[in-house]
Amino acid sequence: MSEHSVNIIMVEDDEGHARLIEKNIRRAGIANAIRHFVDGTTALSYLFHAPDGPANNGPALILLDLNLPDMSGIDILAKIKADPRLKRTPVVVLTTTDDKQEIQRCYDLGANVYITKPVNYENFARAIQQLGLFLSVIQVPEVGDDA
Amino acid sequence: MTITDRFFQRVVFAAMIGSFLLLAVVGGGVVLAARESRHRAALVVHTFEVERALDRFTILTEQLENARRGYLLYHRDGALANYKRTMHDIPLAIDAIARLTRDNAAQQRRVAGLRQEAELHRASARKTIDRLESASAAIRAMADFAVDDSFVSMAGLRQQTSVMESEEQRLLKLRIAAQDHASDLLNIVLSVVGVLILLLMGGMSWIVLRYTDDLNRAQDSLRGVNAGLEGAVAARTTELSRANDEIQRFAYIVSHDLRSPLVNIMGFTAELEAGIGPLTGLADRVDASAPELMDSAARDALTDLPEAIGFIRTSTNRMDRLINAILRLSREGRRTLAPAAVDIAALAASIRDSLQYRLNELGAEIAIQSPMPTLVTDRLALEQILSNLIENATKYLQPGRPGRIVVSARREQQRIIIDVADNGRGIASKDHERIFELFRRSGVQDQPGEGLGLAHVRALSYRLGGIVTCISELGAGATFRLSLPEVLRIEPREGIAA
Repeated sequence: MSEHSVNIIMVEDDEGHARLIEKNIRRAGIANAIRHFVDGTTALSYLFHAPDGPANNGPALILLDLNLPDMSGIDILAKIKADPRLKRTPVVVLTTTDDKQEIQRCYDLGANVYITKPVNYENFARAIQQLGLFLSVIQVPEVGDDA
Repeated sequence: MTITDRFFQRVVFAAMIGSFLLLAVVGGGVVLAARESRHRAALVVHTFEVERALDRFTILTEQLENARRGYLLYHRDGALANYKRTMHDIPLAIDAIARLTRDNAAQQRRVAGLRQEAELHRASARKTIDRLESASAAIRAMADFAVDDSFVSMAGLRQQTSVMESEEQRLLKLRIAAQDHASDLLNIVLSVVGVLILLLMGGMSWIVLRYTDDLNRAQDSLRGVNAGLEGAVAARTTELSRANDEIQRFAYIVSHDLRSPLVNIMGFTAELEAGIGPLTGLADRVDASAPELMDSAARDALTDLPEAIGFIRTSTNRMDRLINAILRLSREGRRTLAPAAVDIAALAASIRDSLQYRLNELGAEIAIQSPMPTLVTDRLALEQILSNLIENATKYLQPGRPGRIVVSARREQQRIIIDVADNGRGIASKDHERIFELFRRSGVQDQPGEGLGLAHVRALSYRLGGIVTCISELGAGATFRLSLPEVLRIEPREGIAA
């Protein structure tokens, strides 16, 4: 399993946030491909049906925002964790919501990490860069790898 | 027709007066009837007395006649004695008749006739007897008696008395007829009165029934209105709590959605700031190697940029604080309340203790009046309200006047009124409402704060079923009055993420 083969899939409706997240991940030295989706529908169709998507091909890591225009990120999380091909794909929930119950719900549904976007940019940048460092060390399972 | 109270009272009063009058008429009629019948009996007795007197007179004249004849024929002393007695009694009997018929002129005339006839009869009898006294004259007396007209006078007397008797009988009949007429009239009057009383009672019963009916109906409708009112209150309460929930949710969503753009503004401002360093370095190098490429506008831009970025940062930081404040309010509004018995005095004392350092610094004091009632409410919410109010009181003291804050509480019906009074700088009356609004403050802005404290206090008081008001004058201290229900009741609410 090559580190570079892991795709980072970012579901984030705010272009600015997406840009800032990408910048800071790159600053942390992560060079993996980042696929960005601005709504839940296209993100789901890529995840489940695209030939190069994680369901059919290759390991992936998902960065998920909860406040999307067409659906709640929670629904996407539930679908991913209910799918036998995708359920082991790590999901990092990265959102502005710091609602306690919301956080619990995400973990209950199987989210691997929950990060609140800090409004203060220095903290935000630091958090994303640490996430980048984290991404560089975690092991992502291959699809279909039942081990 | 609806019967008004006034109308009802009047009618009942009039009916009672009418009934009394009619009863008086009945009573009068009865008295009258009794008197009539007594009178009637007296009349009958009178007639009988007259008849008896006439009979007595007739008997006496017959006895006189018998005595005269007896004496004439047999010279018996007994007969003489009878003669004397009857001679004496006859005028008395006539006197008696005269006395009894004093009221009747016709009868009086007849009595006079009777008296005349009787005198004649007596005279003739006396003559017979007197002659017989001298025994020699006995035969003559017999002869006289033979031609005596005493038969005639006797017949006349008998006729006279019978006329008088029939006159009395006639009078009796007349009087009884008149009385019968009067009593018929009385009967008619009494019957009419009876019917009137029946009508009156019937009418009154009808009115009373109507009135009772009206009352019952009014009571029913009142009950209906009451029930409706309760329903309306319940509906309104539900509506209010739904509106409140909606506002809470709105505040929550808005504050979260406002955060996203703020992340961008702050993030890209930081990126811009990070870009200034390399750009300034480049400008410096250009200045050194090729000053002709540098113009003053570019140089000015580089010096102005940090200032602009500084303003953006201050504003975004402030905006961040405000959004967090709204978020906190909304979160507080959705916290589940836990009603419990709370000792206000102890609560106020613990707040005073936590402020003691600051109070010493300011030279201010807090007095907690006792006794204080206890109440059942959410302890944490009440603590937040009171500490906000007391902290505010310590913040806005009048310079040059030692601060004195008085916390008092009393019970008014089912509510507990808590006053937090200070002798501070006071609040202008135009600001009494405004200070409870979010982000609004009053007076000189010499104290840190975002204008959240009182908005928070008001939101919390509403949640506790209470209200908070401000009583103050500029320069003359302020009293914040909190009115809470003695016992907080929690309506079951839908669980909302908090």
